[in-house]
Amino acid sequence: MNSTAMPHHTVDSKPRLFWQGTVAMLPLSVAVLPWGLLAGSFAIEAGLNPFESQALSAILFAGSAQLVATGMIKAGAGLMTMLITTFFITSRHFLYSVSMRGKISPLPTRWRVILGFLLTDELFALCGQQSEKQFNRWYALGAGFSFYLIWNLATLVGIVAGSYIPSLNSIGLEFAVAATFIAIVIPNVKSIPILISVITALILSVSLTIFNVNGSLMYASVGAMLAGYFSELALTKKTPSNKEKGDKA
Amino acid sequence: MIILSILAMTCLVFLSRYLFLEPRLPLRLSPGVQKLLSYSSPAVLTAIWAPIVFTHDSQLNTSVSNPYLWAAVLAGIIAWKTNNVLLTTVVSMAVFLVLNLVVWG
Repeated sequence: MNSTAMPHHTVDSKPRLFWQGTVAMLPLSVAVLPWGLLAGSFAIEAGLNPFESQALSAILFAGSAQLVATGMIKAGAGLMTMLITTFFITSRHFLYSVSMRGKISPLPTRWRVILGFLLTDELFALCGQQSEKQFNRWYALGAGFSFYLIWNLATLVGIVAGSYIPSLNSIGLEFAVAATFIAIVIPNVKSIPILISVITALILSVSLTIFNVNGSLMYASVGAMLAGYFSELALTKKTPSNKEKGDKA
Repeated sequence: MIILSILAMTCLVFLSRYLFLEPRLPLRLSPGVQKLLSYSSPAVLTAIWAPIVFTHDSQLNTSVSNPYLWAAVLAGIIAWKTNNVLLTTVVSMAVFLVLNLVVWG
């Protein structure tokens, strides 16, 4: 990570790695501010008390699931309905945790629990494409924990200031999410199968969004993964000459 | 009652994030599955950014006055040329805000 790595590099670099993670997460932390404000003010508006409203962000810590859960509490939905809906929204995290298994499962329990708790879309965005060698627990902690703090502070402001806050949603801060994700994805398009996977994700997610399909993110992601996987298999089969002793799995 | 609902949902969300990080879970990922999972990052991230850029209120928006589109193209070019996430985000976000608030605001 640091090109001027000295022999004592690993001793004093934990705070620096933590800070690097925090900085890398910064655009996404800024982009999440309006949603945090909304989560807080919407919870109060739905009739939750300030403690319950903050608890949603502090222990549930799941943007979209939180907003939907708040809406359902407001509408008086039953617990079973809430859990089933939450399950659909949160199902993508199974994909994140299975992808991160190689990097996080060898860590001590407290690291696994903390990084697991912090494993949001945003943290997966920063650490998902890292190799097991590149992955660093302090970097991931800095990214995940700073994001957690910002989300909870924004929620608190939303709870306290509520309806006095002008709508930040209209200025389009969510573009920062798109920009960051584009910046992560584009340099990683290094092969035809990855390109096919990205194009498939684009077409599927946009189409499913237009048709208002629930769980469009999950369907589009899995569809795109399969598209990438099968095009890789197809391309490997087409060029058997240089793959003779290679992976025939 | 509300706090119990929040706790129940918390258990579910935490389970979904933690389940496969547990080493005692007897799961060995075959090379095929690992290959499939190597596509998860570009696939999921694109499935999140593409609707932000190409749709508005669940409608396709590919008009020339869609600031998301222009700023996304710019972000793609900067990312491709520089491979710098922070620079890409800051520059394309600035251009986006100018387009969204000033030019077409």
